[in-house]
This record gives sequence, C-alpha cells and structure tokens, in this order.
Amino acid sequence: MNGIYLLKRLITSFAAFCIAVTIMFALLRLMPGDYITMYLEAIYRYAPPDVVEAFNHVYGLDRPILEQYVIYLLDAFRGNWGYSFIYKVPVLTVIGERLVWTLILLLPATILATLAGIGIGAYSGWRRGSKTDIALLNSMIIIRAIPSYWLALMILIIFAYYLNLFPLGGYVDTGALTTGIDPLDVANHAVLPVLTLFLFSVTGTYYLMRSSMLMTAGEDYITTARAKGLDELMILRKHALKNAMLPMVTLITFECAGMITGSIFVETIFSWPGLGMLTYKALAVRDLPLLQGILLIDTLFVIAANIAADLIYPLVDPRVQVGDDA
Amino acid sequence: MTAMSDALLEVRGLKVGFPTPEGLVRASDTVDLEIYPRETLGLIGETGSGKTVLGMAILRLLQPNTIIEGEIRYRGRDLLSLPEAEMQRVRGREIGIVLQNSGTSLNPVYTVGTQIAEAVILHQGLSGPDARQRAVELLDAVGIPDPVRMAGEYPHRFSGGMRERALIATALACRPNLLIADEPTKGLDAVTKRGIVDLFSEIDRDHSVLFITHDIETAGDLATRVAVMYAGEIVEIGGAEEVLGDPAHPYTRGLLASLPERGMQPIPGSAPSLITLPSGCRFSPRCGCAVENCSREHPGLVEVGSGHYARCMLYD
Repeated sequence: MNGIYLLKRLITSFAAFCIAVTIMFALLRLMPGDYITMYLEAIYRYAPPDVVEAFNHVYGLDRPILEQYVIYLLDAFRGNWGYSFIYKVPVLTVIGERLVWTLILLLPATILATLAGIGIGAYSGWRRGSKTDIALLNSMIIIRAIPSYWLALMILIIFAYYLNLFPLGGYVDTGALTTGIDPLDVANHAVLPVLTLFLFSVTGTYYLMRSSMLMTAGEDYITTARAKGLDELMILRKHALKNAMLPMVTLITFECAGMITGSIFVETIFSWPGLGMLTYKALAVRDLPLLQGILLIDTLFVIAANIAADLIYPLVDPRVQVGDDA
Repeated sequence: MTAMSDALLEVRGLKVGFPTPEGLVRASDTVDLEIYPRETLGLIGETGSGKTVLGMAILRLLQPNTIIEGEIRYRGRDLLSLPEAEMQRVRGREIGIVLQNSGTSLNPVYTVGTQIAEAVILHQGLSGPDARQRAVELLDAVGIPDPVRMAGEYPHRFSGGMRERALIATALACRPNLLIADEPTKGLDAVTKRGIVDLFSEIDRDHSVLFITHDIETAGDLATRVAVMYAGEIVEIGGAEEVLGDPAHPYTRGLLASLPERGMQPIPGSAPSLITLPSGCRFSPRCGCAVENCSREHPGLVEVGSGHYARCMLYD
C-alpha cells in the first residue's frame, strides 16, 4: 500500500515537474530582449546582425522553438542543463558554487526564524489576551507591515553606517585577498542579512503557530489534561505543543525548500554572492540557460518538500496514514 | 439545609457567571448541595441548566474570566481559595472528572495507555513501566477487551463507548474520593449506554459519584440521591426514590411526564435565557400550577419530606 502510494506520488510529481518546466520555458522566452543583442548594444551601442546570428547558431537559438523545447527537456533529464551565457561554464556548476553562499545566510536565518516563530507563537497563543500576547502580536504586525526592502535598508543604515558595527556589504573583507577567507569574517558579514531574513520569515511562522495554538488551547483534551492535575507548563509542553505543531509541518518543509531559492533582494542589498543575486544578475542580462537552471532547482525542491511533508505527517500524527484516500 | 460535617463535598451559595457582550450569563445561581462518602448524587436537568458548569466549577476548570462566588468545601477545605499548585494536587488525585464529549477529550497524538499512565506517574510517583501496567489494569477494569494491546492504541482506534470507558479509567486512575461524570452516556447507542451504566454500578465503590445527566432513567438507576437543576438553580433535591417516585416540584413532575413511557408530554415553553431571567420563580412562566405570587416572589428551598427539598411556592 505504501509502495503503491509512493509510486503514484512520484508519477504525479513527475507530471508536475514537466508542467513547471514547460511553463518556465515558455515564460522565459516571452521576455523582451535577448542576451547577445543587449550585451553588444551595451558595449558597442549597436549589435552587428552577423554576430548575433553566429551566437544564436552556436547556442541553437535559431532553431524552431518547439525543437529547442524538446532538446531542452531531454537534456534536462539527462542532467545536461546547458552552459551559462555569462560564465561560459555548465549551469549546475555556477548554481552549486552560489548555493553554498545562499545557505550560509538562509540556513541560520530559517532555523532561527522557525524555532523563534514556533516558540513565541506557541506562548502567545497559549496566553491569549495577556499583555505579553498583545505586545508580541502587535510587534509582529508592525514588522510584517514594514516593506521588507525598506527594513533591509534601515538595518543597513543603522547597524552598518551609523553604528558601524558590521560591514556595509559583501561577504569577506579585502584582507581575504592576502590571507584567504576567514570564517569569522564571513560570519561578521552575514549577521545583518541573516537578521533581515530572520525578521521577514519569523512573522509568518509566528502567525500560523499562534492561531494553531489558539485552536488547540480550546480543545477538550486540554481540559482533560488539566483535570488530571498537570500544571500549565506540562500541558503546554506535552499536550498542546505537539498538536499545535501539526499544521506547521507543511510550513516548515516549504521554508526549507525556500532556503534554496535564496532571497533576491536581501542578497542584492547586502551584495551577497548567493543564488538570489545570481538570479537577479541572470535576469538582468537574459541569461536563459542559467535562469532555467535556477528555476528548475526551485521546482525540484518544492516538489521534494511536498513529498517530504506527506511522509513526515504520519510520523507526527497517528491519525494520518499515507496511502489512505482521504 | 444544615451544613453536615460528614459530607465529602459541600457546595455553599455557589454563583457562577460568564461575562459576555450581551450581559452576565448566570450559569449557576446560589447552588447549595453536599455529596456524602460513597453515595451517588444524580444531577439532572435540561441542556443549559448549569449542570456541567457546576461540575467544572468544583475542579476550577472553567475559563479564567469566569466570575465564581461562594464556597466549595472538600473535606473542610475551600477549593475556591486554594492556591493553583494545591488545586493541581486535588485534580485527578482527590477528585476525578469524566468530561462531556468523550470523542474529543482524549489527546489524538498519544496512546490511550500513555494518557492514563500520565496521571498515575504524576500523583502516585509510579515508574513508567509500573504506570503502564496500572493503565492496562484500569482498562481491563472498565471492560476494554484485550487491554494490553488497546493501551498501545491511539484514541481514533477506539469506538465511542470505548473512549468513554477509557476516560472513566483515566479519571479513576489515582483512586479519587469523588468522581464527577458529566453526561457519560451522551451520544451513545442504547446497548453501549447500558454498558456504561452497568460499569458505573459495578466499579468498586470506595468513592462518591456526582453523576450529571439529562437522562432521568439513568439517574434513577444509579443515584442514591437526586438533585434537579433548572435555569442555574437547584429546584429539587432529595433521595432518589422520593424525588423520582414522588416529585414535589412541578418541573420535576413535568420532566417525568415527558418520558416516553409516561405519556411523553413535554413541558410547554422553553428554558429561559440565563442573561434575562424571569422574576420570581424561574419556572413560573412554564408552570401549570403557577399562581399570581409565583412571578413576584423568588421561592427558597422548602423541606417537603425527610431530606427532601423543593423550591416552590406550593409548600411555603
């Protein structure tokens, strides 16, 4: 039963992947402008038609769009994701290098935001209506209401410019040129972007956890636990938290998938050489193979997160059985 | 009613109110009753008469903004003025409660055995495996077949009747002196219901039971004494045979007359809102025996027989 379910799940995931790839392929080609024309015009003010033609021929861009699509699809499954126009190296190599830098920011930011969001949200929901709850709720609403790019800039101006506590941007000090990359130096550069990412992500987790806890706190089994003589902390920890966590599984798996995507504007504002900045750069110059590669990775991770959520649910909720047609 | 010192639990002048935007809901109004050792007191009344609130108030399980006045003396100690930490030692150990809605009263993410063992570990200091063993014994005692296996099952694998039994086992786990059972037969089919009623008459009787029900027959089967509630007040209280065999209050008579085997004559009208209660006797607007004075004066409880009291002008 589980095997059949998994097989079904893989087939539908495969279909989802194919549809996503197709939409991506079509959308990217609907963008105005192309790499070589924009590149040549930027340098020489005009693009010689024969050069454009030669470039398009080398990259197969002169073939019929349907043929390009079929070649792309087949190659994508074979693991050949093409060469980046800008970097002239395989797309996966570029992505792999940048992914490490993205994870340096997003791994701590996501883990901290998830833990803090769950912890604070649980407490807030459990003590509904208390002064602490109201204060927390309002702070979260304010953080959420601030436009994220403005918040990022304010953090930069206050902590890096006025207080001079952290570097203004980049990922290493110029000293790295002679001494090599120092992990502590990287960490110092990562503090502000991590803080910014943390603030963006913590509110969503907080809201969901708070409302989930509100629902759980009113359940009859919480009264049963109280009637047994358990103290409030034990009830919260043992009985409420586990149940309130159930809706969080989906959110957490998607937060994990989101880590791979990176954050375009945080990386851009803090000049961090991750996937987000790479996406921005590739988009600006219409580096189609690179964009396709990045979007494909995102798709794969979202699909994987979906499957992961399905497989995790029965482990945390005994009522859920994978393979049941609910 | 004279305060009797040999009572296990004495409720004195209990008032319970819920503040709402529409006004104060007076769910329980100056309730006096006592429960004696080893007796079963049946508390009957319609839905919304304040039965559940009374049961929950005894263990202080009502929501924090509830307004509670009066005294609830358990073995001489007023539960309403106990510090929370001491109240936690009363809950589950001294007084156990089987909540209404057995379907949702067990935690879905823990096995039933774990949930029973939890109380035993907490109050009796048993080790994990010993508490587990005790949980199995308790499940066996409340008539769960194959208790060893069922202790390891999650609540969703239990039928309605079995959940009720599991909750009774949980409430009895630490051998409390008083068991409050809130409509334990609600929503069960006739056969399952019979089984639960039989269980209550079989389980070892070292403790007292406050059996809350809207089912008069069940109360008659199990209770030694019966209290009848109407609109937050006790309107009649006394020995089960006297109250159900020779009811003094017109409301109790009406309840009995509405039973299917007694002609199924319903009481006209419906229970009043607990926010805007009728003046005088609260039952007077629906009462066939009401006289002019009934809507003006609020009657007190009057002794109509030995230990049998009714709140009615007829006996004034």
